[in-house]
Amino acid sequence: MRANKGVFAGIGSLLSKAWKRYSFIFVFAIVLLVYAFTIEANGNTFKWGHITAILASQNTVIVGTMALGMALVIITGQIDLSVGSALVLCSGVSIMAFNLTNSVIITLLAAVAAGALCGLINGVLAGYAKMPPFIVTLGTMLIYRSLMLSVVREIDPAITGSSSSQFALLSENSSYDFLRMKFGTGSLPGVSIPYITFVFVAVMLIILLVSRRTKYGKSVYAVGSNEKAAFLAGINVQGVKVSVFVITGILVGIAAFVQACKIGNVTPASSGKSYEMYAIAAVVLGGIGMSGGKGNLLGVFFGALSYTTINFIIVSIPALTTDIQDTFQGLVLIVVILVQTVGPVLKERFAEARKRRLTRKVARKELADSKA
Amino acid sequence: MGILEMQHISKAFGGVIALTDVHLTVEAGEIHALLGENGAGKSTLMNILTGVITTDTGEILFDGKSYPNPTIAMMERAGIAFVHQEVNVVNDLAVFENIFLNRELKTKLGLLNRKQMIEEAGQLFTRLGVDMDPCSMVSELKTSQKQLLEISRALHANAKMLILDEPTTALSTQEVEHLFGILRKLKAQGHSFIFISHKMPEIFEIADRYTVLRNGMFISSGFITDTTPHQIATDMVGEQYLDKDYYIPRPLGETIVELRNVTGRGFSDVSLEIKKGEIIAFTGLAGCGASEIMQTMFGVLPFEGGVIRVEGKSLRGAIPHFMKSKIAMLPSNRKENSVVPDMDILDNTCIAEHALSKKQQMISTKHELTRYEDLKKLLWIKAGSPKESILSLSGGNQQKVFLARWLNTDADVLLLDNPTQGVDVGAKAEIYRLILEFAARGMTVIINTLEIPEIKKVSDRCVVFFEGHVAKIFQHDEINEQDVMLYSTNAINTRGGANHAG
Repeated sequence: MRANKGVFAGIGSLLSKAWKRYSFIFVFAIVLLVYAFTIEANGNTFKWGHITAILASQNTVIVGTMALGMALVIITGQIDLSVGSALVLCSGVSIMAFNLTNSVIITLLAAVAAGALCGLINGVLAGYAKMPPFIVTLGTMLIYRSLMLSVVREIDPAITGSSSSQFALLSENSSYDFLRMKFGTGSLPGVSIPYITFVFVAVMLIILLVSRRTKYGKSVYAVGSNEKAAFLAGINVQGVKVSVFVITGILVGIAAFVQACKIGNVTPASSGKSYEMYAIAAVVLGGIGMSGGKGNLLGVFFGALSYTTINFIIVSIPALTTDIQDTFQGLVLIVVILVQTVGPVLKERFAEARKRRLTRKVARKELADSKA
Repeated sequence: MGILEMQHISKAFGGVIALTDVHLTVEAGEIHALLGENGAGKSTLMNILTGVITTDTGEILFDGKSYPNPTIAMMERAGIAFVHQEVNVVNDLAVFENIFLNRELKTKLGLLNRKQMIEEAGQLFTRLGVDMDPCSMVSELKTSQKQLLEISRALHANAKMLILDEPTTALSTQEVEHLFGILRKLKAQGHSFIFISHKMPEIFEIADRYTVLRNGMFISSGFITDTTPHQIATDMVGEQYLDKDYYIPRPLGETIVELRNVTGRGFSDVSLEIKKGEIIAFTGLAGCGASEIMQTMFGVLPFEGGVIRVEGKSLRGAIPHFMKSKIAMLPSNRKENSVVPDMDILDNTCIAEHALSKKQQMISTKHELTRYEDLKKLLWIKAGSPKESILSLSGGNQQKVFLARWLNTDADVLLLDNPTQGVDVGAKAEIYRLILEFAARGMTVIINTLEIPEIKKVSDRCVVFFEGHVAKIFQHDEINEQDVMLYSTNAINTRGGANHAG
C-alpha cells in the first residue's frame, strides 16, 4: 500500500514539475482534445486534415511569427501594439516591390527592411528616448496603418496591383505562380503540411536558439528580470530594449511576406486588425509572464497553436455566431492568466496553512506529552 | 513581568532560518539594548513585533495582552512605535503636519485646524525638551532633528514603547548627547525603549539591560552593570571569530588606480593613489560620498572634474568601458542591484562575463560549468545544482555568487560596495578572508563599509570620508574604531570631539 503511494507520489511530482515547465504543451493538448470532441459531436471524424488546418491557419503562421517577437519584447518588460499595423505596412511595401521587380528575393527583402525600420522607430522612441512603450507603439500603430490607407489611394494601380483600395500581387508577373501557388498555398506532399508552416517553425527554432544559447538571449531575460542589476553587470540595457523591437519588426516583415504569398493581397482598412492582441494572446497562452524576465520561447509556438485551435472550436460550435467569438476568446485568455497569476498564490496559501496546522499539531502533542 | 514578553519566537524564510526560539523581555521604563551583528536576526525580531511579518511559532505579550497574530495597525494601537534607521518623515510637509499625519485635527466644518495643531505640537516639543519650530519644513531639518521629530510623532500617538534602530549612526557627538538626554527624561516618565546599536560606548552609557542575538538565536541577556564590553562583543560575534587577525603585510606593486581631483555627484576634489595588490577601505557615515566615488570609478555615475587613471590610462564613459580596463564592482543593496531573480545560479554567475565577451555570442555551457565549479570551490559557495534559482540561496551565498560574477570577468581591481550587508556572521568572515586571498593573488580591492573592526582585520589603509571629502587616511596600524568614528562624524573638528581625542 505504502509502496504504491510512493510510486504515485513520484509520478505526481514528475507531472507537477513537467506541468510547471511545459504547461503550454498541456494547454495545447487539452485544447486539441476539446476540439476533437466538438468535431465528433458534430458527427464528423477527427482527422489529420484538421491538424494540418491548424498548422496552415493565419493565426498560427502569421500571428505566431509576430508573437515570437512580441514575446521577446514582453520578456524585456515592454510591449509592442504596432505589430498589426506594421504587418499591413510591410505587406503593402512587399507587394509593391513584387509588382515592380518580379523578384522573389527583393519582395522578401523589402518586407524585412520595412519591418526592421518600423521596429527601429518603436525601439528608438521607447529605448533611447525612454518613452513608455505602450504609448509609443499605440502611436505608431495608428501611424503605420493610416500611412498605408493613404498610400493605397495615391499610387498607380499598376504598382499596387489593384484599383480597389488594396495591394495585390500582380498575377501577370512570371514569379507569381511560384510565390503564390507553390510557396504561399502549397504544402509538402505526403504529409500535406503547408510550406509556410515550415517558415514559422524555422523562425521559431532560430529565435529559440538565440534566446537559450547566446549571450544576447540571456541579456534579454536579464533586462526584463532586473534592469538595474543588468545595467550594473555591464549589459547595454538600452541597446537590448531597442534590439527586441527591431527583431520584432523583422519577424513582422517575414510574416508580411508570408501573408502576401498566402492571401495574395492586403487591405489596409481591415487586414491585420487586432493582430497585436492575438499575438499577445499567443504569448500569454505560451506561458510567458507579462511582468517580464521569464518564459520559454517554445511556449509561444504552442501558444499560437492553442490560440488557433480555440478559434476553430468556437467556429465549429454551430450555436455560436461569429459575433460572440471574441467573448469566448477573451474568456479563455482571462482564465489562462488567472491560472498563471492566482495559481502560485493559492499554492503558497495552502502550503502556509498546512505548515501552521502542523506546528499547531506538534504543539498540542507536546502539551499532551508534558501533561502525561 | 515586563511590559513586553516575546517567547519562543522562530521564523524561517523558505529554507533560510532567521530566528530560532528567541526570547526578549523588556521592563516598563527601561532602555533595553538589542545587540547582534548584521544578520543576527534583530530586524526580523523587530519586524515580527511590529506586525510587519508573521512569526512561525511563539507568543507575544505586550502590556498584559497577548498578540497571537499581530498586524502593523494592531501593534501601533497597542503603543509600539518603530523609529527606523532611515528616517520616515515626509519631507514636503511642515513639522506639525508630520506629527498629525493621518490624525489631523479638524474644525467643525471638517477643515484642518492648523492653529490648534501648531499649538499642540509646540507643547509637545516643550514637554520633551526638543528645540524645533512646528511650522518649519521638514526638508530643511538636519537628520538628527528628523529623528527627534519621528520620536515626537510616536510619543504624540501615545507610544508606550519605542524601537530605535541605530539612532545615532548619522549624529554628531553633541547630537547624540542631546538625544540621550531626551531618552533619559522619557524613561523617567515611564516609556520603554528597545535600542538597537553596534556602538559599545553608547550602550554602556544609555542602556539598562541588554539581549544579545547571534545567527538568529538567543545568546544572553542581563543588566548592563553586570557585564563588560568585551563580554558582550564575545557574545555577539562568537568566540571563533573574535580577535582573529587575518591581516598579513604584503609587498605592494606599482600604482594601478589613480584619482586626481575627481569631482562628482556627492563628493568633490578627491585624490588617491592605490597600489596593485592593496586593500583599501572606504568608510564614513551614510551620505559621505564613499559609495558615489566607487560608482564613479565604475562608470555608473558621471564625473564632472578631475581624472581617473587605471594603469596610466585615463578612463571615462560607461560601465563596459571600465570593465574592459579590468575593473569590477559589486554594488551595494544586493536584492536591488545584483539579484536577477528569474535566472538560475549559473546564469547569474555569467552575465557580467557575457557582457564583456559579447563578440563571441554562442554560449558553451560545458565551459561555463567548469568555470562555475572552480569559482564555487574557491568561494566556498554552498549551493545545490547550478540550475537552481538564485533565490534558493541564503544571503551570504547569493553574495558569493555575485563575487563569482565579477571574478569571472578576470578583473584586476575589485570594488566592493558594502559587501557584507545582510550576510550572516560566518559568511561575512569568509568574505573578509577571501578579500585577503584575492589581494595575495595580486588583485586590488577597495571596500566600502561601516564595519570598522573588519576593516582593521583586512585593510592596508582606511580612507575616512566626511561630506564628500577625504577626512583622513589611516595606515593599517593606526586604524581603530574610535578614531575612525571621530573623523567620520567630523567630531574631531568640534570642541567636544577634540577634547575626546586628547
